[in-house]
Amino acid sequence: MAELGSYSLLLALALSVYAFIAGILALVRKRAGSDVLGETARRAGIAVFGAVLVSSVVLVVATFQNNFSIAYILHHSNIDLPAPYKFAALWSGQEGSLLFWSFLLAGYGLVLRLRHKVDAQLVAYASVIISAVQVFFLLLNNFAANPFAMVQGTIPPDGNGLNPLLQYPEMVIHPPMLYLGYVGFTVPFAFALAALIMKYPGEKWIHITRRWTMVTWAFLGVGIFLGAHWAYYVLGWGGYWAWDPVENASFLPWLTGTAFLHSVMMQEKRGMLKIWNMWLIFSTFLLSIFGTFLTRSGIVSSVHAFAQSGIGPWFVTFLAITLAACTYFFIQNRAHLRSENRLESLVSRESSFLFNNLILLVACFTVLWGTLFPVLSEWVQGTKVTVGPPFFNKVMIPVALLLTLLTAVGPLLSWRKTSPDSIRRNLLLPTMFSVAVGVVVIVFGWIRPWTAQADFYSWMTLVLATLVLSTVLSEFYRGGMVIAKQTGRNIASSLYVLTRRNTRRYGGYIAHFGFAVVLIGFAGAAFNQDIERELKNGESMQIGSYTITCRTHTQDDNPNYSSVWAIMDISKDGKPVDVMYPERRFFKASQQASTMPAVLSTMREDLYLVYSGENQDSGNPIIKAHLNPLVKWIWTGAHILLLGTILAMVPSLATSKVPIRKTVLVEERQPVGAND
Amino acid sequence: MIGVAGLLLTAGLLLFVFSPARVFVGEEKTRVSYLRERKDAVYENLRDLNFEYKAGKLSDADYESLRNSLESEAAAILAEIEQLEAVESR
Repeated sequence: MAELGSYSLLLALALSVYAFIAGILALVRKRAGSDVLGETARRAGIAVFGAVLVSSVVLVVATFQNNFSIAYILHHSNIDLPAPYKFAALWSGQEGSLLFWSFLLAGYGLVLRLRHKVDAQLVAYASVIISAVQVFFLLLNNFAANPFAMVQGTIPPDGNGLNPLLQYPEMVIHPPMLYLGYVGFTVPFAFALAALIMKYPGEKWIHITRRWTMVTWAFLGVGIFLGAHWAYYVLGWGGYWAWDPVENASFLPWLTGTAFLHSVMMQEKRGMLKIWNMWLIFSTFLLSIFGTFLTRSGIVSSVHAFAQSGIGPWFVTFLAITLAACTYFFIQNRAHLRSENRLESLVSRESSFLFNNLILLVACFTVLWGTLFPVLSEWVQGTKVTVGPPFFNKVMIPVALLLTLLTAVGPLLSWRKTSPDSIRRNLLLPTMFSVAVGVVVIVFGWIRPWTAQADFYSWMTLVLATLVLSTVLSEFYRGGMVIAKQTGRNIASSLYVLTRRNTRRYGGYIAHFGFAVVLIGFAGAAFNQDIERELKNGESMQIGSYTITCRTHTQDDNPNYSSVWAIMDISKDGKPVDVMYPERRFFKASQQASTMPAVLSTMREDLYLVYSGENQDSGNPIIKAHLNPLVKWIWTGAHILLLGTILAMVPSLATSKVPIRKTVLVEERQPVGAND
Repeated sequence: MIGVAGLLLTAGLLLFVFSPARVFVGEEKTRVSYLRERKDAVYENLRDLNFEYKAGKLSDADYESLRNSLESEAAAILAEIEQLEAVESR
């Protein structure tokens, strides 16, 4: 079984190398037979998927067969591991997750090569670039992190099991989502580099890759939110984001990907920012690889781990080669990337995109610096300096507030230039409404922004998020009214038509709406409370308006783990509302413990209970209670964000032609693109 | 058994890669096709501008100035397309 898996991986590598070399030869040598050679390269790329699929299936089947002669399965599975987690073992360790990377890349490559008729020449170049990336990962799979390596010596009767923290339903889908995001950025990167190499005339490559980029960005976003949700519901510390290096690794390409998704509109509409966009997508891909390297090499835990890691140098080499290739082709063909138009005014849609990009890059650099600083300090000084949440929050909160302001104002600005009169028309009502909301929360005493910086930031977040919500709603209302006036439809039907006629714009607005809702959720973190108490049966503790009474505590046992848990009666303002069961599990195979918090979630606040342990003398449970306001807004906002993103990917309905007034002296015009 | 599976896999994939088939060769991108794409983009910008004006987002002065500049851009593109098509048809 393992032999078939290993052999398939070698076959996949051989096919990838062929797809790469034959693809290059077909593109470089313009002679008879080149087209046929190019076609075999394309098919070899497709065949890679078949070979990697066989390898992946072999590993999964071997896991279900409890084949502990394969070292990877011995280290990441055990006989009593539930079936979904046996399946998830494919991506729970280094070798498996790198095989999964190869599998997903082969899958993306398959789809790209099957859709080659969209622009055969461009796809041929992009296919070669994807093959190059595929070769790198298959080299890793075959020679540095082989998932089919055999156990030396005696084969144990049972495996070590899966990390307990990963034995949670979300962990079956969180890593694949992140990986679909990481890997997916290879496609827009390949198209961008292909367009640069072949000096592709025009921006059609952006149009071709737009959905690829959005799908990838959405996967990465879903992965990040699922990770936050998992951290909240499994790790038991009451939070959802800790600026952990691995979290940051996924956040970096998401930030640059967000910048790319926005600024690419300037290239499509105005032929501007071509160099900027090229480097944004290069950076996004490099950060995806860097994120995989950061997560998988162990470098963030210690530089010494990096020194011991077998794959660290591979990644560094690949990153260096990729950066060198991007730089070389950029220098060689940079004249091709000259802008066709210039920024005409600082108050325009273009400048708002530019500022949005700058803010996102500041955020990206901050996260990158904070993530790498401990590594660099250990390298330089020999001592590790920890960079914690205070550093990130100090920079990222003002950055997020600026970004929110731009999210509100940007869509209301015109392309080219916007007069003060137009700004007043669009912003007056939303601004008045958001300021009114800010005043109301002060008057009712919900937030006192002058008491502490955290309170001020929360108040600002609420006001600016409200500004985003109100500008989005006003955009829908204005557009809907135009359709209603033109067609005589009712407002609901008009809003549907409006959205279908420009899904990209209105999907984007819904995504902005979701982003604002998420931010309101973040603002609640300033008002978190917690309390920890040992509770006898029948004893209570108070947090906010909740009374938490310990009814009893008990134990349970199954083949995979044993657990202790408490039964807690919850009442709010004296009325019983729920029963909660915070739990602590001890996993037998891995000999590790994990907490399973109990959460009572409402739009107003979450009551979050953790079974911290027992008093050794009395045997009573020690319960930690957190009261976290507005957390549910984060998950709700994430759903809205995803809905908007999906909507933006749906093709728009065809619109009517626009009559052009023939009032222009054509003789005076220069050729398009010549006004640089 | 495993050896047979490996052989079948190799044979199947190589047969797929090297079996003769019709090769699809796409059209070469020309300046004209690029200009047509630019024209579509400018028309789309014009449509958006008209819609935003109807929605009351733009003052009359802003609308006129933006429309004029977009129409000039469109006219320049159309002129160059006509010029290139005339050269091609000779």
